[in-house]
Amino acid sequence: MAENNSLRVRLVTPEKIFIDGTADSVSLPSSSGYLEVLYAHAPLLAELGPGEVTLHGGDVGDRQLFVAQGFVEVLPDRVTILAESAIPPRDIDVAEARQELDRGQKMWNEAGDVARHYDEANRVIREAEERIAAAGRAGKTA
Amino acid sequence: MANVLDLRRRIRSVKNTRQITKAMKMVAAAKLRRSQERAFAARPYARMIASVLASLVRRVDIYDSDTGEAKNPLLMAREEKRVTVVVVTGDKGFAGPFNANVLKATHRFIADHTDFDIDLEIVGRKGIGVLRRSYGLSSAAEDEQQSQSRQPRTRKARVEIVGEHGGLLDKLSFEKAAELSRTLIERYASEETDAVYLVFNEFQSVISQRIVVERILPIKEIGKPDIAVATEMEREEREEMARAAQSAGVSIQAEDTRQADEEAAKFGTAQVDYIYEQSPSDLMGALLPRYIATQLYHAMLESVAAEHAARMTAMDAATNNASEMIDAYTLTMNRLRQAAITKEIIEIVSGAAAI
Repeated sequence: MAENNSLRVRLVTPEKIFIDGTADSVSLPSSSGYLEVLYAHAPLLAELGPGEVTLHGGDVGDRQLFVAQGFVEVLPDRVTILAESAIPPRDIDVAEARQELDRGQKMWNEAGDVARHYDEANRVIREAEERIAAAGRAGKTA
Repeated sequence: MANVLDLRRRIRSVKNTRQITKAMKMVAAAKLRRSQERAFAARPYARMIASVLASLVRRVDIYDSDTGEAKNPLLMAREEKRVTVVVVTGDKGFAGPFNANVLKATHRFIADHTDFDIDLEIVGRKGIGVLRRSYGLSSAAEDEQQSQSRQPRTRKARVEIVGEHGGLLDKLSFEKAAELSRTLIERYASEETDAVYLVFNEFQSVISQRIVVERILPIKEIGKPDIAVATEMEREEREEMARAAQSAGVSIQAEDTRQADEEAAKFGTAQVDYIYEQSPSDLMGALLPRYIATQLYHAMLESVAAEHAARMTAMDAATNNASEMIDAYTLTMNRLRQAAITKEIIEIVSGAAAI
């Protein structure tokens, strides 16, 4: 087996350890764009944005999970993902995401002149949009 | 003295009560086991956040070299004049001294800090019920209930309730804890409050619990709880807990988490130079609020476990008391019956002798 060039991947949420296994490659939604991690990647620490984590190969098979906020640590032989929530894209509640989107837009309109409120509103909007998009890619429409 | 029939009736009623308390004890034990598992499952995340933060702190200058002030407001300590106290109680009663202990610690904190203005943020219906009687709702909290208008707050009393969260613990999710922590952080960052304390029942294992007053904001040192006051359990209480746990089949030892903890502690601390996708101070800014949320979530999880443990113990004691009562009543009843029989025999014998 190609034991020596597969990554050990763990996805941890506040509730539990979601995935603990190996994979040949992992693609991650960093807050500034997607990145693909293979074996022997340089050590990296990044904040995750909303998006899908995709695992290829390895003993957990191909897995795809939508994560909202979190962090990732990449070491040459190991990837550890800390995410506030993780959900398979096909389980995403599109109606709820749309509500969230509305809430975000309302927040944006009401933010007044406080920069912090705009940031918060943008975060909510982006997360909701990504959520809807991910659900769409998984072949699910509202 | 009551007659045999009365006693029999009373025994039956106590037996019914015993059945109920016994069932409640078993339910509490099952819930305790589940909440213990949840608290255990939540640990890796908490550990990882703490360790990655700790390693970032070592690498990044958190203090401005010119002014000597902390760059992130959450690390900046101010003189404490207005503090927020988050009180974590339970939603239900029948849990022995559980709620009373937390509330006692809260009252003591308020009494000990007469020079502070205190805002109360209450989690759990029991705490809301009791504290509402002593302290008024703040104008801000009233506003929120009536309209959304945000006015500068006028303080009516030294101690005010700013938030109530009933039913939050029933289906506790990280999202809810994070929401509360966002409110707290916002209040701290905008200098509405100078420190945030957490009063809750810490739960390590069935026999190792304590009431803790912990300061979660400002962050003094990452990974080390900043505990202001801690009240340990009495030996008697601990023995009672252990007895109740054993009879309900709950393990009294904390699960061995050392290996998992050690592994989690390695997160983000490898002795290599990381590439930071975002600037370290941005990462720090994103991690700190999450660290607070995790602490809050963890405190709530432990409090829930402690509540179930307390309920299990209380119901175990109630079951034992009921058994004792039944024994005592049965004894009196048998004595009474025997006395009646003896009396009748004497009557017959003396009647026969008289003839």
